[in-house]
Amino acid sequence: MSQEIAVVGSPEFTTGFRLAGVRRFENVPDDEKDASLDDAATAALEDEDVGIVVMHDDDLEYLSRGVRQEVETSVEPVVVTIGSGTGGGGLREQIKRAIGIDLMEEDEQD
Amino acid sequence: MAKDVKPTRKNLMEIEDRIELSERGHGTLEKKRDGLIMEFMDILDKAQDVRGDLADDYEDAQKTINMARAMEGDVAVRGAAAALQEHPEITTESKNIMGVVVPQIESSRVSKSLDQRGYGIMGTSARIDEAAEAYEDLLESIILAAEVETAMKKMLREIETTKRRVNALEFKLLPDLYDSQEYIEQKLEEQEREETFRLKKIKDKKEQEERAEREAKDDVEETRAAATGDTAGTESEEMGQSTAGGVPGGD
Repeated sequence: MSQEIAVVGSPEFTTGFRLAGVRRFENVPDDEKDASLDDAATAALEDEDVGIVVMHDDDLEYLSRGVRQEVETSVEPVVVTIGSGTGGGGLREQIKRAIGIDLMEEDEQD
Repeated sequence: MAKDVKPTRKNLMEIEDRIELSERGHGTLEKKRDGLIMEFMDILDKAQDVRGDLADDYEDAQKTINMARAMEGDVAVRGAAAALQEHPEITTESKNIMGVVVPQIESSRVSKSLDQRGYGIMGTSARIDEAAEAYEDLLESIILAAEVETAMKKMLREIETTKRRVNALEFKLLPDLYDSQEYIEQKLEEQEREETFRLKKIKDKKEQEERAEREAKDDVEETRAAATGDTAGTESEEMGQSTAGGVPGGD
Protein backbone atom coordinates (compact mmCIF):
# COMPACT_ATOMS: atom_id res chain seq x y z
CA MET A 1 0.00 0.00 0.00
CA SER A 2 1.42 3.37 -0.97
CA GLN A 3 1.37 6.12 1.60
CA GLU A 4 1.93 9.84 1.64
CA ILE A 5 4.14 12.29 3.45
CA ALA A 6 2.42 14.83 5.70
CA VAL A 7 3.83 18.13 6.96
CA VAL A 8 2.59 19.85 10.11
CA GLY A 9 3.67 23.35 11.05
CA SER A 10 3.52 27.02 10.21
CA PRO A 11 2.66 28.06 6.61
CA GLU A 12 6.30 29.16 6.11
CA PHE A 13 7.44 25.68 7.07
CA THR A 14 4.96 23.75 4.93
CA THR A 15 5.25 25.86 1.73
CA GLY A 16 8.65 24.44 0.80
CA PHE A 17 7.40 20.87 1.14
CA ARG A 18 4.36 21.70 -0.95
CA LEU A 19 6.77 22.94 -3.58
CA ALA A 20 8.28 19.44 -3.57
CA GLY A 21 4.82 17.94 -4.12
CA VAL A 22 3.59 17.16 -0.60
CA ARG A 23 -0.19 17.59 -0.65
CA ARG A 24 -1.06 16.43 2.86
CA PHE A 25 -0.27 19.38 5.11
CA GLU A 26 -1.62 20.99 8.26
CA ASN A 27 -1.05 24.73 8.37
CA VAL A 28 -0.99 26.11 11.89
CA PRO A 29 -0.03 29.82 12.16
CA ASP A 30 2.46 30.65 14.91
CA ASP A 31 -0.08 32.47 17.09
CA GLU A 32 -2.47 29.49 17.00
CA LYS A 33 0.07 26.78 17.74
CA ASP A 34 -0.77 26.58 21.44
CA ALA A 35 -4.41 25.93 20.68
CA SER A 36 -4.40 24.03 17.38
CA LEU A 37 -1.08 22.19 16.96
CA ASP A 38 -2.21 19.24 19.12
CA ASP A 39 -5.24 18.63 16.89
CA ALA A 40 -3.25 19.05 13.70
CA ALA A 41 -0.56 16.60 14.83
CA THR A 42 -3.17 14.09 16.03
CA ALA A 43 -5.05 14.34 12.71
CA ALA A 44 -1.84 13.59 10.78
CA LEU A 45 -0.93 10.71 13.09
CA GLU A 46 -4.38 9.14 12.83
CA ASP A 47 -4.52 9.32 9.03
CA GLU A 48 -3.85 5.79 7.75
CA ASP A 49 -2.70 7.08 4.35
CA VAL A 50 0.19 8.94 5.99
CA GLY A 51 3.49 7.07 6.38
CA ILE A 52 5.79 9.91 7.42
CA VAL A 53 4.93 13.07 9.35
CA VAL A 54 7.40 15.96 9.14
CA MET A 55 7.48 18.56 11.91
CA HIS A 56 9.80 21.32 13.06
CA ASP A 57 11.77 20.57 16.24
CA ASP A 58 10.69 23.81 17.92
CA ASP A 59 7.01 22.98 17.34
CA LEU A 60 7.25 20.04 19.75
CA GLU A 61 7.31 22.59 22.58
CA TYR A 62 3.73 23.61 21.73
CA LEU A 63 2.38 20.06 21.99
CA SER A 64 0.69 18.76 25.10
CA ARG A 65 2.48 16.07 27.09
CA GLY A 66 0.43 13.16 25.73
CA VAL A 67 0.59 14.19 22.07
CA ARG A 68 4.29 14.96 22.36
CA GLN A 69 4.98 11.50 23.75
CA GLU A 70 2.93 9.98 20.94
CA VAL A 71 4.86 12.02 18.37
CA GLU A 72 8.20 10.98 19.86
CA THR A 73 7.45 7.28 20.04
CA SER A 74 5.17 6.76 17.05
CA VAL A 75 6.36 4.17 14.55
CA GLU A 76 3.39 4.06 12.18
CA PRO A 77 3.47 6.76 10.96
CA VAL A 78 6.99 7.76 11.93
CA VAL A 79 7.49 11.40 12.84
CA VAL A 80 10.68 13.05 11.56
CA THR A 81 11.54 16.33 13.23
CA ILE A 82 13.94 18.76 11.59
CA GLY A 83 15.27 22.15 12.50
CA SER A 84 17.43 22.35 15.60
CA GLY A 85 20.12 20.01 14.31
CA THR A 86 20.30 17.53 17.19
CA GLY A 87 17.01 15.84 16.36
CA GLY A 88 15.20 13.05 18.14
CA GLY A 89 14.97 14.39 21.68
CA GLY A 90 12.64 11.55 22.58
CA LEU A 91 14.89 9.09 20.83
CA ARG A 92 17.82 10.24 22.93
CA GLU A 93 15.87 9.63 26.13
CA GLN A 94 14.78 6.24 24.83
CA ILE A 95 18.42 5.31 24.09
CA LYS A 96 19.46 6.37 27.58
CA ARG A 97 16.71 4.24 29.09
CA ALA A 98 17.27 1.16 26.93
CA ILE A 99 21.06 1.04 26.65
CA GLY A 100 21.91 2.85 29.87
CA ILE A 101 24.36 5.27 28.24
CA ASP A 102 23.79 8.53 26.40
CA LEU A 103 25.24 7.38 23.07
CA MET A 104 24.21 10.54 21.25
CA GLU A 105 26.22 12.70 23.66
CA GLU A 106 29.24 10.53 22.88
CA ASP A 107 28.70 11.08 19.16
CA GLU A 108 28.23 14.80 19.62
CA GLN A 109 31.54 15.04 21.48
CA ASP A 110 33.26 13.19 18.62
CA MET B 1 8.70 -16.50 48.54
CA ALA B 2 10.74 -19.44 49.71
CA LYS B 3 8.53 -20.01 52.77
CA ASP B 4 5.44 -20.49 50.60
CA VAL B 5 6.62 -23.73 49.04
CA LYS B 6 6.01 -27.11 50.61
CA PRO B 7 9.30 -28.81 51.46
CA THR B 8 8.77 -32.00 49.48
CA ARG B 9 11.04 -33.88 47.09
CA LYS B 10 8.53 -33.38 44.27
CA ASN B 11 8.62 -29.60 44.71
CA LEU B 12 12.41 -29.67 44.87
CA MET B 13 12.58 -31.53 41.56
CA GLU B 14 10.11 -29.09 39.99
CA ILE B 15 12.13 -26.10 41.23
CA GLU B 16 15.36 -27.62 39.92
CA ASP B 17 13.71 -28.03 36.51
CA ARG B 18 12.52 -24.42 36.57
CA ILE B 19 16.00 -23.20 37.57
CA GLU B 20 17.52 -25.09 34.64
CA LEU B 21 14.98 -23.63 32.22
CA SER B 22 15.33 -20.11 33.62
CA GLU B 23 19.13 -20.23 33.45
CA ARG B 24 18.96 -21.38 29.84
CA GLY B 25 16.42 -18.66 29.02
CA HIS B 26 18.51 -16.06 30.82
CA GLY B 27 21.57 -16.97 28.76
CA THR B 28 19.64 -16.88 25.50
CA LEU B 29 18.01 -13.54 26.30
CA GLU B 30 21.38 -12.06 27.28
CA LYS B 31 22.79 -13.12 23.91
CA LYS B 32 19.74 -11.64 22.17
CA ARG B 33 20.13 -8.35 24.07
CA ASP B 34 23.83 -8.12 23.22
CA GLY B 35 23.14 -8.93 19.57
CA LEU B 36 20.40 -6.30 19.39
CA ILE B 37 22.69 -3.69 20.96
CA MET B 38 25.40 -4.47 18.39
CA GLU B 39 22.91 -4.17 15.52
CA PHE B 40 21.59 -0.98 17.11
CA MET B 41 25.10 0.51 17.21
CA ASP B 42 25.43 0.00 13.44
CA ILE B 43 22.05 1.65 12.84
CA LEU B 44 22.97 4.50 15.22
CA ASP B 45 26.11 5.27 13.20
CA LYS B 46 24.00 5.34 10.05
CA ALA B 47 21.39 7.51 11.80
CA GLN B 48 24.02 10.05 12.83
CA ASP B 49 25.18 10.36 9.21
CA VAL B 50 21.60 10.65 7.96
CA ARG B 51 20.82 13.27 10.61
CA GLY B 52 23.84 15.29 9.57
CA ASP B 53 22.81 15.17 5.91
CA LEU B 54 19.23 16.04 6.87
CA ALA B 55 20.35 19.14 8.78
CA ASP B 56 22.50 20.27 5.84
CA ASP B 57 19.71 19.65 3.33
CA TYR B 58 17.22 21.56 5.50
CA GLU B 59 19.60 24.48 5.79
CA ASP B 60 20.12 24.53 1.99
CA ALA B 61 16.39 24.23 1.35
CA GLN B 62 15.64 27.07 3.72
CA LYS B 63 18.26 29.29 2.08
CA THR B 64 16.90 28.65 -1.40
CA ILE B 65 13.25 29.16 -0.45
CA ASN B 66 14.10 32.35 1.44
CA MET B 67 15.92 33.56 -1.63
CA ALA B 68 12.93 32.66 -3.82
CA ARG B 69 10.61 34.47 -1.41
CA ALA B 70 12.85 37.51 -1.43
CA MET B 71 13.15 37.61 -5.19
CA GLU B 72 9.72 36.45 -6.32
CA GLY B 73 7.57 37.26 -3.36
CA ASP B 74 5.74 34.92 -0.98
CA VAL B 75 2.59 34.85 -3.10
CA ALA B 76 4.45 33.59 -6.17
CA VAL B 77 6.14 30.83 -4.16
CA ARG B 78 2.82 29.77 -2.62
CA GLY B 79 1.17 29.89 -6.03
CA ALA B 80 3.81 27.59 -7.49
CA ALA B 81 3.49 25.29 -4.47
CA ALA B 82 -0.28 25.05 -4.94
CA ALA B 83 0.12 24.14 -8.62
CA LEU B 84 2.05 20.92 -8.03
CA GLN B 85 0.39 17.88 -9.60
CA GLU B 86 2.84 15.06 -9.03
CA HIS B 87 2.87 13.92 -5.42
CA PRO B 88 5.57 11.84 -3.78
CA GLU B 89 4.49 8.44 -2.50
CA ILE B 90 6.16 5.92 -0.28
CA THR B 91 5.79 2.16 -0.09
CA THR B 92 6.97 0.18 2.89
CA GLU B 93 8.54 -3.27 2.86
CA SER B 94 9.78 -5.03 5.94
CA LYS B 95 13.11 -6.52 6.93
CA ASN B 96 13.82 -8.74 9.93
CA ILE B 97 16.75 -7.92 12.23
CA MET B 98 17.01 -10.48 15.07
CA GLY B 99 13.25 -10.85 15.30
CA VAL B 100 12.55 -7.13 14.98
CA VAL B 101 10.61 -6.21 11.87
CA VAL B 102 12.02 -2.93 10.56
CA PRO B 103 10.70 -1.08 7.52
CA GLN B 104 12.42 -0.43 4.25
CA ILE B 105 10.84 2.63 2.69
CA GLU B 106 10.80 2.98 -1.05
CA SER B 107 9.86 6.35 -2.47
CA SER B 108 8.52 7.31 -5.86
CA ARG B 109 7.97 10.61 -7.63
CA VAL B 110 10.06 12.59 -5.14
CA SER B 111 12.58 14.04 -7.59
CA LYS B 112 10.83 15.48 -10.59
CA SER B 113 11.96 17.09 -13.79
CA LEU B 114 10.98 20.66 -14.56
CA ASP B 115 8.03 19.75 -16.77
CA GLN B 116 6.70 17.20 -14.28
CA ARG B 117 6.27 19.78 -11.55
CA GLY B 118 3.11 21.26 -12.94
CA TYR B 119 3.68 24.97 -12.53
CA GLY B 120 4.28 26.95 -15.67
CA ILE B 121 7.87 27.48 -16.72
CA MET B 122 7.17 30.92 -18.06
CA GLY B 123 5.44 32.28 -15.00
CA THR B 124 8.07 31.22 -12.48
CA SER B 125 11.75 31.89 -12.08
CA ALA B 126 14.78 29.67 -11.60
CA ARG B 127 14.76 30.56 -7.87
CA ILE B 128 11.54 28.66 -7.39
CA ASP B 129 12.93 25.72 -9.38
CA GLU B 130 16.00 25.71 -7.15
CA ALA B 131 13.84 25.78 -4.04
CA ALA B 132 11.67 22.94 -5.35
CA GLU B 133 14.78 20.92 -6.15
CA ALA B 134 16.27 21.60 -2.71
CA TYR B 135 13.04 20.50 -1.02
CA GLU B 136 12.93 17.36 -3.18
CA ASP B 137 16.44 16.50 -1.93
CA LEU B 138 15.30 17.25 1.60
CA LEU B 139 12.36 14.87 1.17
CA GLU B 140 14.75 12.13 0.03
CA SER B 141 16.79 12.68 3.21
CA ILE B 142 13.62 12.72 5.33
CA ILE B 143 12.51 9.37 3.86
CA LEU B 144 15.93 7.88 4.64
CA ALA B 145 15.83 9.35 8.16
CA ALA B 146 12.31 7.97 8.66
CA GLU B 147 13.49 4.49 7.72
CA VAL B 148 16.48 4.61 10.03
CA GLU B 149 14.61 6.23 12.93
CA THR B 150 11.75 3.73 12.74
CA ALA B 151 14.29 0.91 12.83
CA MET B 152 15.97 2.58 15.82
CA LYS B 153 12.70 3.05 17.71
CA LYS B 154 11.62 -0.53 17.10
CA MET B 155 15.00 -1.91 18.10
CA LEU B 156 15.09 0.26 21.22
CA ARG B 157 11.70 -1.07 22.27
CA GLU B 158 12.89 -4.64 21.74
CA ILE B 159 16.14 -3.96 23.62
CA GLU B 160 14.17 -2.48 26.51
CA THR B 161 11.79 -5.44 26.65
CA THR B 162 14.64 -7.96 26.45
CA LYS B 163 16.60 -6.05 29.09
CA ARG B 164 13.57 -6.09 31.43
CA ARG B 165 13.17 -9.84 30.90
CA VAL B 166 16.87 -10.47 31.56
CA ASN B 167 16.76 -8.33 34.73
CA ALA B 168 13.55 -9.99 35.95
CA LEU B 169 15.16 -13.41 35.53
CA GLU B 170 18.49 -12.34 37.02
CA PHE B 171 17.29 -10.29 39.98
CA LYS B 172 13.85 -11.71 40.79
CA LEU B 173 12.94 -15.11 39.43
CA LEU B 174 16.28 -16.93 39.74
CA PRO B 175 17.10 -15.63 43.28
CA ASP B 176 13.60 -16.66 44.42
CA LEU B 177 14.03 -20.10 42.90
CA TYR B 178 17.47 -20.51 44.51
CA ASP B 179 15.99 -19.46 47.88
CA SER B 180 13.17 -21.98 47.51
CA GLN B 181 15.62 -24.69 46.52
CA GLU B 182 17.86 -23.95 49.52
CA TYR B 183 14.85 -23.81 51.86
CA ILE B 184 13.53 -27.19 50.67
CA GLU B 185 17.00 -28.78 50.81
CA GLN B 186 17.53 -27.52 54.36
CA LYS B 187 14.08 -28.68 55.44
CA LEU B 188 14.61 -32.11 53.88
CA GLU B 189 18.03 -32.43 55.54
CA GLU B 190 16.48 -31.46 58.86
CA GLN B 191 13.74 -34.02 58.39
CA GLU B 192 16.38 -36.64 57.55
CA ARG B 193 18.38 -35.77 60.69
CA GLU B 194 15.23 -35.94 62.81
CA GLU B 195 14.37 -39.30 61.27
CA THR B 196 17.88 -40.67 61.97
CA PHE B 197 17.71 -39.38 65.54
CA ARG B 198 14.26 -40.89 66.02
CA LEU B 199 15.41 -44.26 64.68
CA LYS B 200 18.45 -44.14 66.94
CA LYS B 201 16.25 -43.41 69.94
CA ILE B 202 13.86 -46.22 69.05
CA LYS B 203 16.79 -48.58 68.59
CA ASP B 204 18.23 -47.57 71.97
CA LYS B 205 14.88 -48.04 73.62
CA LYS B 206 14.41 -51.41 71.98
CA GLU B 207 17.88 -52.50 73.04
CA GLN B 208 17.19 -51.31 76.56
CA GLU B 209 13.96 -53.25 76.62
CA GLU B 210 15.67 -56.35 75.26
CA ARG B 211 18.43 -55.98 77.80
CA ALA B 212 15.91 -55.61 80.60
CA GLU B 213 14.02 -58.61 79.30
CA ARG B 214 17.19 -60.64 79.06
CA GLU B 215 18.22 -59.64 82.54
CA ALA B 216 14.80 -60.52 83.87
CA LYS B 217 15.02 -63.85 82.12
CA ASP B 218 18.49 -64.46 83.54
CA ASP B 219 17.24 -63.63 87.00
CA VAL B 220 14.39 -66.05 86.64
CA GLU B 221 16.73 -68.72 85.38
CA GLU B 222 19.15 -68.07 88.17
CA THR B 223 16.39 -68.20 90.71
CA ARG B 224 15.14 -71.39 89.15
CA ALA B 225 18.63 -72.81 89.06
CA ALA B 226 19.14 -71.82 92.64
CA ALA B 227 15.86 -73.37 93.54
CA THR B 228 16.77 -76.58 91.68
CA GLY B 229 20.15 -76.65 93.47
CA ASP B 230 18.48 -76.39 96.87
CA THR B 231 16.13 -79.26 96.11
CA ALA B 232 18.98 -81.51 94.97
CA GLY B 233 20.95 -80.78 98.17
CA THR B 234 18.03 -81.69 100.37
CA GLU B 235 17.44 -84.89 98.47
CA SER B 236 21.09 -86.02 98.77
CA GLU B 237 21.06 -85.13 102.42
CA GLU B 238 17.96 -87.16 102.86
CA MET B 239 19.49 -89.99 100.90
CA GLY B 240 22.62 -89.86 103.07
CA GLN B 241 20.59 -90.05 106.18
CA SER B 242 18.63 -93.03 104.97
CA THR B 243 21.79 -94.83 103.90
CA ALA B 244 23.35 -94.24 107.27
CA GLY B 245 20.33 -95.49 108.91
CA GLY B 246 19.94 -98.38 106.50
CA VAL B 247 23.43 -99.82 106.71
CA PRO B 248 23.11 -100.56 110.26
CA GLY B 249 19.73 -101.88 109.53
CA GLY B 250 21.15 -103.98 106.70
CA ASP B 251 23.64 -105.62 108.84
